[in-house]
Amino acid sequence: MNKKRTKIADISRGREDQLLEIPPGELSALPCPYEKGEGSAPVPAIPEQHKEKYDFSLDGVSALGLPKNPSPEEQDRLVEGFLSGLRKLLSKDDNWTFWQQLVLSLEACTHCQTCNDACPIYTASGKQEIYRPTYRAEVLRSIVNRYLKKSGRAFPKLMGCDIELNWTTVARLAELSFRCTMCRRCASWCPMGSDNGLITHELRKLFSQEMGIAAKELHAQGSVRQLEVGASTGLRPKAFKGIVEFMEEEIEAKTGRATKLPVDREGADILFLHNSGEFLSWLENPIAFAIILEAAGKSWTLSSELAGYEATNYGVWYDDVQFARVALKQIEVARKLGVKKIVVGECGHAHKALTVIADRILTGENNFPRESFLPLLEDLVCNEKIKLDPGKNDFPVVLHDPCNMVRLMGIVEPQRRIIRKICPKFREMEPHGVDNYCCGGGSGFAIMQSLNFPEWKSSVSGRMKMKQILDSFQDVIRPEINKYVCAPCSNCKGQIRDILAVHHAWEKCRIFYGGLAELVVNAMVDMKEPFITWEWR
Amino acid sequence: MGIAALVVFYSSAVFLVAASFFAFKKYLAAPVHLHWELYRGSSAYELSDWWTKKPRSLGNKLWTAGLDVLFLRDYYRRNRSFWYFLETFHLGIYSLILWHVWLFGRAAAGPVVAEPVGSLVWGHSAFALALVGSVGILVKRITDADMRAFYPPIHFVKWVFLILALGGGFYAVQFHFAGSMSGALAYVREQLAFNLAAKLHAPAATSAHLLLAAPWLVYFPFSHIMKLGFRYYHFFRWDDVPNVRGGLIEKKIGQALGKRVSWAAPHIQSGRTWAEVATQIPGETPGSETK
Repeated sequence: MNKKRTKIADISRGREDQLLEIPPGELSALPCPYEKGEGSAPVPAIPEQHKEKYDFSLDGVSALGLPKNPSPEEQDRLVEGFLSGLRKLLSKDDNWTFWQQLVLSLEACTHCQTCNDACPIYTASGKQEIYRPTYRAEVLRSIVNRYLKKSGRAFPKLMGCDIELNWTTVARLAELSFRCTMCRRCASWCPMGSDNGLITHELRKLFSQEMGIAAKELHAQGSVRQLEVGASTGLRPKAFKGIVEFMEEEIEAKTGRATKLPVDREGADILFLHNSGEFLSWLENPIAFAIILEAAGKSWTLSSELAGYEATNYGVWYDDVQFARVALKQIEVARKLGVKKIVVGECGHAHKALTVIADRILTGENNFPRESFLPLLEDLVCNEKIKLDPGKNDFPVVLHDPCNMVRLMGIVEPQRRIIRKICPKFREMEPHGVDNYCCGGGSGFAIMQSLNFPEWKSSVSGRMKMKQILDSFQDVIRPEINKYVCAPCSNCKGQIRDILAVHHAWEKCRIFYGGLAELVVNAMVDMKEPFITWEWR
Repeated sequence: MGIAALVVFYSSAVFLVAASFFAFKKYLAAPVHLHWELYRGSSAYELSDWWTKKPRSLGNKLWTAGLDVLFLRDYYRRNRSFWYFLETFHLGIYSLILWHVWLFGRAAAGPVVAEPVGSLVWGHSAFALALVGSVGILVKRITDADMRAFYPPIHFVKWVFLILALGGGFYAVQFHFAGSMSGALAYVREQLAFNLAAKLHAPAATSAHLLLAAPWLVYFPFSHIMKLGFRYYHFFRWDDVPNVRGGLIEKKIGQALGKRVSWAAPHIQSGRTWAEVATQIPGETPGSETK
């Protein structure tokens, strides 16, 4: 394919034109029954009223809803703000949280482009230049070299940094920081350890912490809302308690046993922390965990305190300060309850945020024990502490690996041992484990619904996952057989729901999705009726 | 020529030592950072109470880092066609460095009477590996569109210059000293004795070699291979060391949390320490209970 090469310096030029327009037919192919291709553009045409108002100059997509034409004074102010933030990013004091990884990532890249083919967005998009993991990193590197280093100022062309920093550059770079799911598959591939996912993170941070620019679903409707009302979904403590009562009714209906779920039980062994999206969209998941924990006789509790029923921490994707605030709130709830540890439920980014990343902000009494639900569930299932009949899960099951659990945390085997124990028709996606592909909803994409961004994430960022799911079920692809994609992560589940829905995969192929706990409860001997009801939602 | 070569070479040598020192200092003095790991397989987080499990030993990490630096194993796994040239080049350079260490060591040890066995073959083999590798890398960088993408022009100049430096060394040994290692050793011994007359009237071939080699002494502290070594340092890869109460990591975190926040966005409410900013939510009265 002889494609026009988009250069680094092009990001500053031609504001009236899109830097990229993905031609129809360039997206990577999908297998049966989608082998004929969609034959349409990856994103629909932009409505006129949006075109006049918002900036679409990167690739015809807007994740941030940036204004199209700020005044010249405003443009100058924004460019100055960007440079000011960039200086802070490169300062040990201002950016102690990620200074070392950022500096090494900027300095270590040898431009070998080994990472490119690791990126599901770059490959699924038909290898569009600006979606290379190295493109945005190289733009940032060029700005640093040109505007903050003497050698770059003297010989910009020779040093490869003849880039112009203007509002066009800044606006496109802001959007470009939301064309990467921060799955860090590229970083894992990089022979030098340069982390382009981290560079995306640092860019988003610069925009948020210095310029107040962030995706509204992550900031205003995300971490800010979580700190104000208790959950990023807007779920308030009173409503949460109502949901718990409903869960008790459901459990009684499904098991025949009246159950009082533990809420705010002081001194319990475990505070179980769910993504609040589960309570609103997939209540069967917290119900399944409640059934398992009660059946196993565990000492556990939920919390109705502000931030105590919400595992998410969107700060991890764009803002260190918001990240720290949320993590400390969650720890505070556990401390006050006097539980022994926090166990994080099926939410990948919450696993990484609270267990791993927060490990370097917690001191003294805040340095509180936190771990994944997987060792606990593995113990209960594999050591037969609950009675299970694998025959009840007699349908094809494939496991999606959330990046945050596998590549970014090293939890690879417990989920497999559980599924092998209870699902006789389990198969793996290829590749899987630490080499998995992101679902396309990582780094907040799963919840971002602005303008035409949802179409882009379904057709481009989620495309590789759609292909993997279809590939794994090719031997049973006909619609007479129900199939289950197990996604033990709330955001992955949301993204997989969206890509399956866009492709009508339930109607065409009977591909369903859900969590891991649901599979366990579905196999429980005590359950009179199947727990998984195969009702699309 | 002689005095210019001397000034350039010794300045470069001093620069190498100073810049390497500051490069190490820069990373050794880096503040603790958030735990942002990558894993190649199962970790302690698969286990209950993971913070009680023993992390990897330093020896294990160093062994892995050493193998990676020596054999560039990730290039072998992920970019095989590039690795062939890259590894050939690096083996040649490592071998040349060792050969120079031997050259200076042997010259300092005493007069050389007999021709040292194998030393010329060693030097020429190292030169050949480095030359084949560097030419291969340059050709690949020029002909492969992906490898060319975003590659700063200065780096093409770098490879040409490197090939010239290698050629200069080969010329000095093979033609100026007529392939006689005892002759080369005698010359180095004279230089090490700091015989000023000999230094000021050095032959053109050796002076040219010094001039061509000097920039590489300046470049080395900034080279990518140095970065490859650094990536393993300071909990950057495979860090399963938990932050335990009262431990060294917790102490460092405490210091970092005492730094002042300067970020300008309104929700940050900067001007206070990280510990204050992280615990006082905008809109909340400091110290108030959450509702």
